[in-house]
Amino acid sequence: MTNTLSRRDFLKLGTATAAAAAAGGWIQPRAARAAREAGLLDAAGNGYIPSMCEMCVWRCGLLARVEDGRVVKLEGNPEHPHSRGNLCPRGQSGLMNTYDPDRVLTPLIRVGKRGDGLFRKASWEESLDLIANKMLEIKTRYGPEAMVFSTTHCLTQQQFENMMYAFGSPNYGTQRSLCFNAMITAFLLTYGVEEPARNYNNVDFILLVGRNMMEAISTSETSELSHAVDRGAKLVYLDPRYTKTASRAAEWIPIRPGTDSAFLLAMINVIVTNELADCEFVKKYVVGCDGIKDAMSRYTPEWAEKITGVPAATIDRIAREYAAARPNSLVHPGWRTSNFLNSFQTERAIATLNALSGNVLTPGGCLSAEVAAEGAGLGAPPQPPYPRLSALRLDGTPWKYPLVPLKLGVFQELRDAIITGQPYQAHGWFISRQNPILSLPDRNKTLQAFGKMDFIATVDIIMNDTAWFSDVVLPEASYLERYDPILPVEGKAFIRQPVIEPQGEAKSTLWIYKQLGERLGLGDYFQYDDEEDYLRTQLKPLAVDLEEVKALGYAKMPEDETKGEITFNTPSGKIEIYSETLKNAGFSPWPTWEEPPVPAEGEFFLLTGKVAQQTQFGTQNNQLLHKYSDEPRLWMNASVAEERGLRDSEWVEVTSNVGKVHIRLLATQAIRPDCVYMTPGYGHLSRGLKTAYGWGASDSVLHVTYTDPISGSQALSQTFVSVKKA
Amino acid sequence: MTEINHHAFLFDATRCIDCRACMVACSVENKIPMNKTRIWVAGLGITGEFPNLQRETMVYHCMHCNAPDCLSGCPVGAYSKRDDGPVEYDKNRCIGCRYCMNACPFGVPHFDFDKGLVDGAFIDKCTLCPQRIDIGLEPACVATCPTDALVYGEWTDLVKEAHDRIAAHPGRYIDHVYGETENGGTSYLILSHVPFSELGLPNLPENPINKVSESVMEITIPFALSWAAVLTGVAAGVHMNNKKKEANAKEAETYDEKPEETK
Repeated sequence: MTNTLSRRDFLKLGTATAAAAAAGGWIQPRAARAAREAGLLDAAGNGYIPSMCEMCVWRCGLLARVEDGRVVKLEGNPEHPHSRGNLCPRGQSGLMNTYDPDRVLTPLIRVGKRGDGLFRKASWEESLDLIANKMLEIKTRYGPEAMVFSTTHCLTQQQFENMMYAFGSPNYGTQRSLCFNAMITAFLLTYGVEEPARNYNNVDFILLVGRNMMEAISTSETSELSHAVDRGAKLVYLDPRYTKTASRAAEWIPIRPGTDSAFLLAMINVIVTNELADCEFVKKYVVGCDGIKDAMSRYTPEWAEKITGVPAATIDRIAREYAAARPNSLVHPGWRTSNFLNSFQTERAIATLNALSGNVLTPGGCLSAEVAAEGAGLGAPPQPPYPRLSALRLDGTPWKYPLVPLKLGVFQELRDAIITGQPYQAHGWFISRQNPILSLPDRNKTLQAFGKMDFIATVDIIMNDTAWFSDVVLPEASYLERYDPILPVEGKAFIRQPVIEPQGEAKSTLWIYKQLGERLGLGDYFQYDDEEDYLRTQLKPLAVDLEEVKALGYAKMPEDETKGEITFNTPSGKIEIYSETLKNAGFSPWPTWEEPPVPAEGEFFLLTGKVAQQTQFGTQNNQLLHKYSDEPRLWMNASVAEERGLRDSEWVEVTSNVGKVHIRLLATQAIRPDCVYMTPGYGHLSRGLKTAYGWGASDSVLHVTYTDPISGSQALSQTFVSVKKA
Repeated sequence: MTEINHHAFLFDATRCIDCRACMVACSVENKIPMNKTRIWVAGLGITGEFPNLQRETMVYHCMHCNAPDCLSGCPVGAYSKRDDGPVEYDKNRCIGCRYCMNACPFGVPHFDFDKGLVDGAFIDKCTLCPQRIDIGLEPACVATCPTDALVYGEWTDLVKEAHDRIAAHPGRYIDHVYGETENGGTSYLILSHVPFSELGLPNLPENPINKVSESVMEITIPFALSWAAVLTGVAAGVHMNNKKKEANAKEAETYDEKPEETK
């Protein structure tokens, strides 16, 4: 078994890439072509190697500049549709994840008490045997469902699921219910697609509902939106904070938190009452044309003004501007939409407004439902069918949450079921590349759930908080050191390949899962010799050589023949503004208004939201990002702070129903007076993270667990806090 | 690729989202120590009162002036100006006097207090990535900018591009391209929606300050020489005059009795 790239391979790669360049393989000249023309690729193996970023889930193509076996610089791959030659600050910093002095470089087995951080180095053999034995022991004593598995969006997620389903456990925790359940569930129910793609080429009017695109950067989309604004498209932005996106918007509307859906429903009201919609499109493709006027009649702009705090005239005008720009008008579906219990309704209203614009699936339309499944069109190793799952899922899908898609699940509910032991007790937890201690709301509860476990194993590249509280830690190779399965993006199948050799004894998860699978007696589910063999199997239908793909960075996919006829994968085959499915499950069939709770006198909405320099809960230890990030402080409106006698940069105590943190104050004009804001992902517990430990405070300590009964989405902004001098 | 005779950047403050990808890219490309940076964000940040706010951000680094004050202020010639744009610094010549820091109207050169004496590299500033531009690549900061707030190219093309943007979007920009004329022109051109002073940029005359001082300095030697001649003349005159006086005095002695001497 080999998963390392030898120096000879480097040589081969250098020559092959140079040859590919000579053949005119590189289309857009930026870093890469110029470098090749300049003869930067030399016989010593110094040069550029194409691969794929993993600093967030946008997965930009990159070109890694390698000198003498070290990555010295990362450039955006001009040929990748997600990077187009650019990388965001996180992408630029990626090499510091690889060269983090706090990397875990050998398997570790806990020797002290859980949470003391005392581990001993162990061999792969011993660690894998230990994990497999524990998992089999739990399976024998309590059944396979007593093992919980959790991971986050990554290219080996399918192999992770493979191990879980082959093992026979239905208990799967992903980040999804903490992130985009509301958006995906709403769009599945309305359009029959998870997340329609956005197209900014022709857009004239864009409404962003809290989608902070200039800070929660998706490189190509951020760039497209920015260029649309540059050429004069109108951007309207709803957010209680003046973010960097707000500063790019023609209109920033600091709407009252939790009332986005009232704003949007009033827009729908204006459009249908005044018959401003694309009638032809609506009649042909939409279920609910007949009843929508009545169903929306109570949501007048005047009604919404009282709820949202936005003048009725403004809502009316924006609705008319939106309708006038159709079909080149777009309401962005959003991304992390886990804000309020009514966020599902916000998403339904967004789906409705896009349907009324007629932008969906029209040629060059702003919204496109044609999103291929990951791995579609590629080969896969053969494997037997999974065993039948007999146990209930601990996360309540679908027996408690009938409409939550099985692949999304309800992670926070799973965590709570571990604590209560209902409907049965879980005993083991296998976690890969995920940090639930920081990502789940109510950290105390998560730690409590960890306490219920007989055995916890974690795979990660650094000693994150979850690894710190685990019994065995397996060192994963960083994304610059390993292969991952090939990923098709817009007609090309892109490769993530090692650009340097793994440090220490770090291994890819393709290797780790296979090793573990074999020890669990599930070898038939992992029928590949090594990473390269897996990739070759994937590439078989494309009839290309792996060496070619390694040199070029991608393989061309065959043309998709299915384009043409517009179909929606819903029960009616149409866009369901009116949904029988929702009605049958006992929910409102129309997008509807649900009153959110409000903070008590003297309390604040606790808002969280991304910054451009960090991704979720895993990058705070990256020294380059640490260097260029602002200190994570609690934002409070400067006038409110003054009234309360709180001064900028002094320490404050923030208290919610479930927790308390200390953090420094940022008194700013850039937030509504009834809100405070924290950057998520800080306040790490692990002392194995020398850069991140003790820096900032954790929003997860404060977040109260609330689950939307329709989508299973956690309501992160529904936590209210009080703030006083520390 | 177009032939570049004068490398330049164009920064558009309306496009910058303060993501800092340029800063990270620069740090990695140029192996900048963790406690240093060659690019920083200037400007007032968020101004106004809720909810009437605006953000003013500028990516700040060496302007690569056509008439660099650092160069004219340097007593040992550690700075040089390449014909095609970059202002270069030679650490081997630098004596660490910090005159360049005082001379630069943009406050760009940074003195490296903890490394200077050991490594001899006293001053740190943007180099315009010669290791990249000389082989046809864009500077690291520009290459990665996700919103094209920073673009790179031939100076004359970028000046035209900047004026085109102003013309295409009336009311969006201040009708001026900073750096086109300031301080005799800079290789870093700036477009802004707010007064340039709010971005932290100094108000500079077209005629660079150092040119004014140089024009004075240029005449110092002839001036000194001619002044020396005048003084020499004066001195000679005075000398002659004194001689004359002495002679007259002696003459007078012959007529006057000298009581002290005779006593």
